[in-house]
Amino acid sequence: MLTIETLKEENYDLLIIKGEIDASNSVLLDEKMQEMKNTGSKLILVDGNGLEYISSAGLGVFMSYLEDFQEEEIALKIFALSPRVFEVFKILGLDQLINIYETKEAALEA
Amino acid sequence: MIKLPSIHIGKLSMLLAILVWLSLLFVDLVRLFGILNELESGIAQEFTWILEILFFLTVYFFYNYSINKNSQTDFLNLIWRAASTGIVAVIVSIMVNLFYSLLGDSNLINEPFLRNFFYHVNFALISIFLISSALLWKHLILYQKSKRVVKQWQAYEFAMLAAMLFIFFNNNSLDYSFLFGLVILVSLGIILSANLKWIPYLTFREKWKSLLFLFIIIICCGYLFYQVLLFSDRSKFIVNLTDNLFLVSLFSFIFIYALFCFLVTLFNLPTSSVFEQKLTEAINFQRLSQSIQPEESEEQVLDILVDSCMSASYADAAWLELGDQESTKGILQERFLGKELKEELSDLIQNQKAAQDWAVDNRPENLEPLALRLNHNRFESILLVPLVINKSAIGRMVLCKEVRDGFNKEMINIISTFVRQACIAVENHRLLNQAIQNERYQEELKIAQRVQKSLLPTKLDHNDSFDICAYSNAADEVGGDYYDTYKLDEDRYVLIIGDVSGKGTSAAFNMSQMKGIFQSLIQLNLSPAQFMIKANAALSRCLERNHFITASIFLINTTQKTVCHARAGHVPTLMHQVLKKKSDYLGIDGLGLGILRNKQYENHVEEKTFSYTSGDVLVLFTDGIVEAKNEKSQQFGFERIRTLLEVYHELSPKEIQTKIIDSLHAYVGGDGLIDDDYSIMVIRFS
Repeated sequence: MLTIETLKEENYDLLIIKGEIDASNSVLLDEKMQEMKNTGSKLILVDGNGLEYISSAGLGVFMSYLEDFQEEEIALKIFALSPRVFEVFKILGLDQLINIYETKEAALEA
Repeated sequence: MIKLPSIHIGKLSMLLAILVWLSLLFVDLVRLFGILNELESGIAQEFTWILEILFFLTVYFFYNYSINKNSQTDFLNLIWRAASTGIVAVIVSIMVNLFYSLLGDSNLINEPFLRNFFYHVNFALISIFLISSALLWKHLILYQKSKRVVKQWQAYEFAMLAAMLFIFFNNNSLDYSFLFGLVILVSLGIILSANLKWIPYLTFREKWKSLLFLFIIIICCGYLFYQVLLFSDRSKFIVNLTDNLFLVSLFSFIFIYALFCFLVTLFNLPTSSVFEQKLTEAINFQRLSQSIQPEESEEQVLDILVDSCMSASYADAAWLELGDQESTKGILQERFLGKELKEELSDLIQNQKAAQDWAVDNRPENLEPLALRLNHNRFESILLVPLVINKSAIGRMVLCKEVRDGFNKEMINIISTFVRQACIAVENHRLLNQAIQNERYQEELKIAQRVQKSLLPTKLDHNDSFDICAYSNAADEVGGDYYDTYKLDEDRYVLIIGDVSGKGTSAAFNMSQMKGIFQSLIQLNLSPAQFMIKANAALSRCLERNHFITASIFLINTTQKTVCHARAGHVPTLMHQVLKKKSDYLGIDGLGLGILRNKQYENHVEEKTFSYTSGDVLVLFTDGIVEAKNEKSQQFGFERIRTLLEVYHELSPKEIQTKIIDSLHAYVGGDGLIDDDYSIMVIRFS
């Protein structure tokens, strides 16, 4: 099961992901990311606290927006990933491309 | 051996009948001569009777054989056979009478032998007519027979046999016992005559014809019976054959059954169209339910449907439309009306409130046919019939009639049944096609599976310095895991393992691209890091934006005993080092291929060279193994693989591989399916 909640804060958008992202539901994440991009958000925070598992298809979604976000100067920050999920990002090398923080505060301060 | 010629029962019995008749004629002439000349001819009258019975029996066998042989003939043919025999018998009898009336006062008129000869001819023809008719009646009576009717018929046949022999008992005289036997046989005949089940199956035309034939039979029967009564004159016909209980009761049976048939057919005439209608409906119903073969098209089913419904309701015109009522794309069936007239009627229907309500009913499965009155100069009533498949309306059929309120409840019922049956046929047809399509896809997938299997190497390149084995398993028919080897020269070998993001068919396509890229780039003698950079550049132009590939590449130099290694986002490789006496993952950074699609990728790839000693083991695998979950949703994880290698590093690569896969399956659980592709490659240096 995957639920993605979006919250619009004063100077950033918050994406709260809960559950597992795999090939069958990665489209949902893609839709939300597209929505964020279209609403003109400049800072997107992803709350990964409830993210239990992410498959390569899910990682592919994050990956596919990297270039677009860079062009439009949108910052994407992920925080509070569980060690296991963080490991997946790290093995793939995405931790070098996406800013990943331990807490929301750390993400906001940086 | 004497070869007996095959006996032809028909011809044999006919021949016998003729012989018996000739001898009967001869015997009677001799007897007549004796009586007239008051001489003892030495031939008892019993001799005549025996020959007579023999004649009856041979005629019976002949007709029994010849009718059974042509048992396929229809009812009308049977009746015509009886009628024609009757006509022949009557014509001959009339000609004989004519002959006598022409003779005038000639001496011949009192010539007993000639008279006796003609009498025998008449007798033979009457017997043939009666026996053949009785056998034809048998066919009609036993149509749709039940056990009871068959028994009744058998009883009647036995009674008739007894009637033949009765002559020995009463010596050819009219007494009470004769009357008694006659009453019994006539009653049996009447009981049998109640079996008239064949009549409703005649069409209207056939009924008229059969009425004519039956009338002929009745007339013939009456005339011939009248003749037989004349023959009773003992002064003219001294040797009497026809005052026979058998013949008289047969007369009554033929006459009664013909009369019953005549009357029943006559009274059936007005209702025969209804019966025919029901029969057509049943046949149409069968056609509809049979038309689900895949080679039959939907259009044919609908074609049958419209025709069936029109004939069931006596509609004057009809059309059938599929899909949206507004659009004209749907398959259209039109009967007896043109496009303009159809649109005119459509508009009229559209204007009726009831039709509007009907059309917007949101539960099509409950939709009933709707009968409407119409203000149209030609068609005064119409019936709207919905075509519902799988709870959704796929179209409608419109039947038009020129009379007001032309559709009654029975018609609507039968039409509803037709439509339901047709819809089932269409639905089955669609499902069947879908199933065939699915089967074809399955076949295609099997081919894809075979092709993909052939993309993985069957023989892994290596020399005596190291031993190697590999295994790959796809979660679906095809998968995205990839491994390969390449021999640069006698001492240098390249190993690669890769994993395409996602799974299934799309992953399989990208995996084959990866194989192409590896096999072409590796020939350029690139270092592992350079290989990754070039591969990234190539894949950036090949992969969809949200797809990537992870890979680990190893360049083994067996003379220097070194391994040069680069990793592109792939799960770390496990290595057991004999010197350190422990297993550990190779720590090296590297970004997956196709993630950064520009020059910057060069900053994200590392290359490390390490040396190995004899007994060291490398285990390359994909994330399917690490991420495989047990019932409690816990992953197999890196640590388990590491511990396994530490325990089993002394085994051969094949054994190590088996240990890891077995323990993976044991972890996931007996029935637990690993829902991702997984691959493993084990190398042991010697």
